[in-house]
Amino acid sequence: MKRSNFLAGTLSGLAVVANTQHVFAQALAQTPLSGLPGAANRCLVLINLQGGNDGLNCVVPHGDAQYYQVRPTIGIARNDVLSVNDRIGFNPSMRSFKAMYDKGMVAVMQSVGYPNPDHSHFRSTEIWQTAAPDKYEHTGWLGRYLDEANLPKDNLFNGVAIAQVLPEVMVAGKTDVPAIAQISGYGLISDRNNSASMAYTKLVSDNRLPFSSPYLAHVAEIEDHAQKGSQELPKLIAGYKPAGAYPATPLGRSLALAAQIVGSNLGTRVLYVQHGSFDTHVGQKATQDRLLGELSDAIKAFYDDLAAHGNDNRVLTMTFSEFGRRVAENASRGTDHGEASLLFLIGGGVKGGIYGAYPDLADTNMGNLKFDTDFRSVYATVLERWLGRPSAPILQGQFATIAALG
Amino acid sequence: MATALTPRTDVAGIYRPAGHLDIATALAPYKGLWDARLAAHLFRRAGFGSSPDEAAHFASMGVHAAVDGLVNFAPTDGLPAPDNLYDPRTTLMQYFQVGMRPGALDDMTKRKIGQEVRQNERQSIISLQRWWLNRMLVTPAPLQEKMALYFHGHFTTAAIQKGVSPVMVYNQNQLFRNNALGNLRELTWQVSIDPGMMIYLDNARSDPQHPNENYARELMELFTLGIGNYSEQDIRESARAWTGWILRPRDGTVQFVPFRHDSGSKTFLGQTGNWAGRDIVDVIFKQPDSAVFFANSLLNFFVYNGPEPQLVDAVAKLIRKNDFNLKPVMSTLLRSKVFYSNRAYRALVKSPVEFTIGTYKALGAKAIDDRAQRALLQMGQILFYPPNVAGWPGGANWLTSQTVIARENFLASIVNSPMMDGVDWMQKMPLKASQAAQQLVATVLHGDASAQSVAQLTDYLNGAGTSALGMLSGENYPERIRGAAYLTMAMPAYQLN
Repeated sequence: MKRSNFLAGTLSGLAVVANTQHVFAQALAQTPLSGLPGAANRCLVLINLQGGNDGLNCVVPHGDAQYYQVRPTIGIARNDVLSVNDRIGFNPSMRSFKAMYDKGMVAVMQSVGYPNPDHSHFRSTEIWQTAAPDKYEHTGWLGRYLDEANLPKDNLFNGVAIAQVLPEVMVAGKTDVPAIAQISGYGLISDRNNSASMAYTKLVSDNRLPFSSPYLAHVAEIEDHAQKGSQELPKLIAGYKPAGAYPATPLGRSLALAAQIVGSNLGTRVLYVQHGSFDTHVGQKATQDRLLGELSDAIKAFYDDLAAHGNDNRVLTMTFSEFGRRVAENASRGTDHGEASLLFLIGGGVKGGIYGAYPDLADTNMGNLKFDTDFRSVYATVLERWLGRPSAPILQGQFATIAALG
Repeated sequence: MATALTPRTDVAGIYRPAGHLDIATALAPYKGLWDARLAAHLFRRAGFGSSPDEAAHFASMGVHAAVDGLVNFAPTDGLPAPDNLYDPRTTLMQYFQVGMRPGALDDMTKRKIGQEVRQNERQSIISLQRWWLNRMLVTPAPLQEKMALYFHGHFTTAAIQKGVSPVMVYNQNQLFRNNALGNLRELTWQVSIDPGMMIYLDNARSDPQHPNENYARELMELFTLGIGNYSEQDIRESARAWTGWILRPRDGTVQFVPFRHDSGSKTFLGQTGNWAGRDIVDVIFKQPDSAVFFANSLLNFFVYNGPEPQLVDAVAKLIRKNDFNLKPVMSTLLRSKVFYSNRAYRALVKSPVEFTIGTYKALGAKAIDDRAQRALLQMGQILFYPPNVAGWPGGANWLTSQTVIARENFLASIVNSPMMDGVDWMQKMPLKASQAAQQLVATVLHGDASAQSVAQLTDYLNGAGTSALGMLSGENYPERIRGAAYLTMAMPAYQLN
């Protein structure tokens, strides 16, 4: 049998797609705006610090003698801390982040957590992502936002996860969020052949199959979206050029793609990226310092790039992690799973400063920090004061908002 | 404080099939029609798929002989062993002279050693992955490898991070293989003192003054009981009981050192005693929840997702009756009515490993090629590197834009490879487009496509959408058949197990 490449065929199929490019821009213009001025152009970037970031070595309570007693080997020396005030300061690897803080671009939310904290990575990650500490919820809080925000239904990029696996936070009831690890490799080889491309489009929507499966509708939808999305996205973002270099780290690459998507005006409202692993049971210092340095440098490059394109004021970035870590270090120069910790709000809309109660190392839950601010209050703040949506239906309860956002 | 476990059906991306479970007959032996379609179903679940010839062969045997063959497999010692596994000590020996202290090396050299070790370990793991994938493809005991894959996702350990060496990865993999249809209690104990696991979940670093809770927690949460069936206090007490097990620095073997063991009294799951690690495992397996947990896990992996509590209870009863011996449990499950019910058929999403090896199987390949590992990376399943200690989440979570594109592109690439020249059934395709389309759907999908889709394939074979429209002919035949084979495998049914 003679071999020839059926896929290396005509490229004419691509011309069909090109005509649909402007549908998004049109749909966007018709979107019912939320109550907040400018909210329709805003974007939230969520950074998941996977594994449980140790808050106490991230923003260090250098004014608290007890900190140095319980962390004799991994405590960060007072002289090394990038001091914010006489109580706390940033980890020394976060120099560029501290500079952003000094410019008023960063709000530090201290002592964030939830009642009856769970120490399991998976359950606590799920709790933060679904915003449901008391029950098993199927959808993520940003997924529910996407479902309820009256966004254009034909836009495949209302939310984008820069990840190989769709994170639970983006799982929605009515919206399929593409998970894209990197833009190269995001395309079907068969779309290079017009005839195969057309047949594919029809075959994946076969809905008269001689069997049933709980996954069938999902498979068909994802196959369809994978084809449409990958045909369109590379062209839609091709015109964007970053203003400067990003660090050559996975997070640097993810945020570079995030800036490109934001700057290409696809109507993307929520973006997810991840960084880690912060699960520092053993030899914490080297790992966490490296990860915090990478975080700091990538965020700096991201906002420099956004600012150069005039997008910095319409992008709010928020970090989260499933829990903080045990106050005292363990025998392996690491820390075990803990409870309350801190998160950062960065960029658009942020009123820089320190918010929430300082961590109290003397009054703990069996060695774990107590929480002062429920994380759902931070979510409510982001939903109401940034994305312009009522938070109660999404969070399934009313939570007070915080002054950290304008 | 342990409460009855309710198996979760509301986990993100995990869907239970619609319809009604007939619990009264669910585990009764299946006595209905047995054909190549159901034989292929059995081998997709209990193995890694089948070639058309194999499916026909198993169909001719009947369901009971086919299942008997799967669970009573002969020893597989004759299969090839992996290539030599890299031992970091060989690199260290090159740099150290006898009597030299580690401090004698400068930082630059230490960094260089570190890089060399990591690189060699990575290469060794890649070669070990290739060995396992090939074993899945050619083994005469597919259920043994399928159970090893199940246990790898259940009792997770990730290579290299934290210092889990290729030798440890291989030994753990062999542990799963050797206990494939063995006793779950015994396997859990063996896993607990497996060097790779002891490093991955930190028991090797625990001591009585600061017991490390990582293993104690995951042992109950992810391996045996499930969340909500123990207290935080139980975790702390279990962590104390596990102290004393160390890895000997000389050779990495496991040793119990009494003076590093907390021999005081512990109250664990309501029972008080001077418990050590083995006691912890035994106490856990006395909890009714442990059988429920494994029943739920096995049903999710082999039958369908989100199994009903009644079905879970019935399988849990079976597990307890057999004192956690898996062979009779799997033997019952794989010949049960519920396993062959319409609700279970194509009710799971193929994992990337199932998708990839199943494709090589369908093509009758004797070995995987370079595509497999690259594709698995892009599809989101790298053997020996589970995403976290909970393993791969499965279900709809396997399918995102990125991973679906990786799946389709793997197929597109393989149909254009020289491998296709050796595929028997591809050589015997009819020349008439409609017949070729029928035959592709029958061979690759066991008929799981609609008449409309067969018509679409026929149109494609006849040149629809090309500038040089023309019926299937001798000239365009090879190219179009390859294209149609790709399109058949790109249909939704092929993503489902």
